[in-house]
Amino acid sequence: MTNGRDPARRRDPAEITRLAIERRMSRRTFLAGTGAGIGALALAACAPSSGASNAPSAAPSSGGATGNLGDTLNLATWPNYHSQEVLDAFTSLTGVAINVGVYGSTEEMEAKIRAGNSGIDVVVPSNYAIEGWVADGLIEELDYGKLPSFVKADWNARFMDQAFDKGNTVSIPKNWGTTGIAYRSSKVTEPVTTWKQFFDAAGTTYDGKAMIVDHQISSFGSAAVAMGYSLNTIDPTEMAAVEAMLTALKPKLFAISSDVQPPLRALDTWLSIAWTGDGVQVGRDNEDARYVVAEDGGELWIDSYTVAADAPHRDAAYAFIDYITQPEQAAAETEYCLFPHANDKATALLIDEVKNNPVIYPSADSLVALEYAVNATYNSPERAEAWARIKASA
Amino acid sequence: MPRTSRVAQNDRPGRGSRAALLVLPATLWYVGFLVAPLIVLAIMSVGVRSPNGGYQPALTLEQFANLTTRITPLTNTLGLAALNTFICLLVAFPVAYTLALKVRGNWKLVLVALVVIPFWTSFLIRTYAWMTLLGANGVPRILGWVGFEDVQLLNTPFAVSLGIVYNYLPLMVLPIFVSLERLDRSFMEASRDLGAGPVATIRQIVLPLAAPGILSGIVLVFIPIMGEYLIPILLGGGKTYFLGNALADLFLQSRNWPFGSALATLFVIGMVVLVAGYLALSRRLVRAGRESSLL
Repeated sequence: MTNGRDPARRRDPAEITRLAIERRMSRRTFLAGTGAGIGALALAACAPSSGASNAPSAAPSSGGATGNLGDTLNLATWPNYHSQEVLDAFTSLTGVAINVGVYGSTEEMEAKIRAGNSGIDVVVPSNYAIEGWVADGLIEELDYGKLPSFVKADWNARFMDQAFDKGNTVSIPKNWGTTGIAYRSSKVTEPVTTWKQFFDAAGTTYDGKAMIVDHQISSFGSAAVAMGYSLNTIDPTEMAAVEAMLTALKPKLFAISSDVQPPLRALDTWLSIAWTGDGVQVGRDNEDARYVVAEDGGELWIDSYTVAADAPHRDAAYAFIDYITQPEQAAAETEYCLFPHANDKATALLIDEVKNNPVIYPSADSLVALEYAVNATYNSPERAEAWARIKASA
Repeated sequence: MPRTSRVAQNDRPGRGSRAALLVLPATLWYVGFLVAPLIVLAIMSVGVRSPNGGYQPALTLEQFANLTTRITPLTNTLGLAALNTFICLLVAFPVAYTLALKVRGNWKLVLVALVVIPFWTSFLIRTYAWMTLLGANGVPRILGWVGFEDVQLLNTPFAVSLGIVYNYLPLMVLPIFVSLERLDRSFMEASRDLGAGPVATIRQIVLPLAAPGILSGIVLVFIPIMGEYLIPILLGGGKTYFLGNALADLFLQSRNWPFGSALATLFVIGMVVLVAGYLALSRRLVRAGRESSLL
C-alpha cells in the first residue's frame, strides 16, 4: 500500500476517456441547468447513497481518528467530484458511511449551511466564499491536531496560504481549476487566446454561437479582464463600462447558461466561457475542441474542504479530510474528477495522461496573470445588481 | 329538514369542542404550511442583507423601495404570461370543443387520457426533450435540408413560448372540456332550430356557457406561468428573464434574502388579488348562467 500505487486505483487512458464520456455534465453545470436548489433536494432524495441527511449517528463520537467516529458523515460537494472507490475505502476503513449531497454552486451550498441545522459536516466551497463564511461563523477553525497526516511541505505554495485563508486555518484544497475559453477549432479558425479576443469575436464573427456562463464572478469578471480591468473590479465606472459591453453583447449570445457542455458538443455554440472540467471532457470526446487559459488574465479558483461550525459528526469530518487529502487518495480523486490537485505529492503519483495534460495542468507561466475572486466581489451588491440588470435586459 | 337536524346536532353539549378538535389538523396544516412561511417571508422582507449575504434583522421598507429595479422582469413576465395564456386558450378551445362535443364513447376516454399522459413524465425531462428537438441537431437541421440554413430556434422567445404552451396546455384543455361536457345540448339544438349558424351558436351559446371553465383555465395557466423559472433557463438560454428567475438569482446568486422576500411578497400579493378577482368574476358568471338557464 505504501509501496507504489494501489492497482485497483490505476486506470488506463482508455478507461479515463470512457469515464469522461459518461460524465457529460461537469461541476457547476449540473444543477444550474436543472432547477437549482429544488433539483438538488430532489436528486439528493433520490440518490441511494444519501438517506436522511439529518440522521444522528447511533454511536457517540469520542475524538481522534482512532476513536469512535460514529457511522455517518454528510458531505456537501460538487457533481462528479469524488471517486466512489475512495469514498468506499474510507467507509470500509472507518465504518463511517458518507452521504454525498451534490450542489451546482457554492451559493447553493451556502444557502443550505446559512439556514442552519443542515446536518452537513464537510463543505467544499470555492475560495471566494470562505472569508464571509468565517466572518459569519458558518465554518470552524480547523483543528490540525485531528489531521495528523497533513504535511504542509507536500503542498504547492501557489494554492496554499492565500489571502482568503491565511495559514489555511479553515480550509484545505480539494482541487483547483481555471475559468477559460473553450472552442471548437473546426469552426473558430482564428486564434482566441485572450478575453478581449473572446468578447470581440462573440459579438461579431460568432453572432449567436458564443456563450457565457450564468455566474457573476466568472462572466462579469472575465468581461472586466477583457476591458483591461481586474477580475475583481468593484469600481463604479469600470463596472458601468463592463455592464454596457455585456448588455450590448447579450442579444448576440447563444445563451447565458452554466450548462456549458451540451451546446458545445452539439455545435450549438462554437466558443464558450468554460471551467477546466468542461475543457477536459469536451476535449477528450472532440478532436477539434480546445481549452485555453486566457493570456490577459481571468479566474483561478480552488475548492477546499471546510468543516461546518454546526457539524453533527465532527470527528468523522476530520477523519475524512485527513484521509482524502493524503497523496494516494488525492491522486485517485484527481484521476477521477480530472481537475488539478494542489498537493505536489499527489500530482507526482498521477498517470502521465492526466499529469501531462496541459488542459488539466496548465503551465505555471499561464497562471501568472490569473486572479482569485475575492469575498468583496462575491458579496458586492453593486456587482450582483449589475449582473441582474444584464440578465434582465432585452 | 336537513337544516333543522343540523341545528339540533349543534345544540348537543360537547359538540363544539369536538368540532374544534376535528378542525385542528386542518388548522395546523394551514398555519404550518401556509401562514408560517408567509410570516417568515414578511419578516425577512423588512430586513437587510447581511454584509456576507443572507438576512439581518431590521425594520425598513428599503427592499420594497428597491423593487423598482425589478420592473423589467415584472413587465416581461406579465406580458409573456398574458400572451402565452392567450395562445393556450386559442389552441385549447378547439381541442376541448372537439373532445367534449364531437367525439363519442371510448374514443373520448382515449383522447382525454392522451391529453393527460404527458403529465406522467417529469416536466424537466419533457422540457429537456424540447432542447434536443430545437437545438442545432434537431429541427434546424431538417430545415437546413429544405433550404433554410442557420435557423436558430433554441434560446429564442419562440422556444420559450413553445415550451410554455406545450407544458401548460392540458391545464387549459381540461377545465374547458369539463364545462363543455356539462353543457346542455338542447341549447345548441334550439339555437340551430332558430336559424343560428355554427359560428353564431358557438359565440352566443357555447362560449358564454363555457365561460366558467375558460376562466378557470386562464387562472390555472396564468399563475404558474407567472412563477415560471425553468423554461426560460432551458429553452430561453437565460436570455428571457422572468420574475421567477429574478427571485432565484436573488436568493441563490446574490444571496439577498430580504430583497428576494420583498419581491416574493409583492408576487404573492399580486396573485392573491388575481385569484380574488377570479373568484368574484366566476361567481358572477355562474349566477348569470343559472339565471339565463332559468329563463
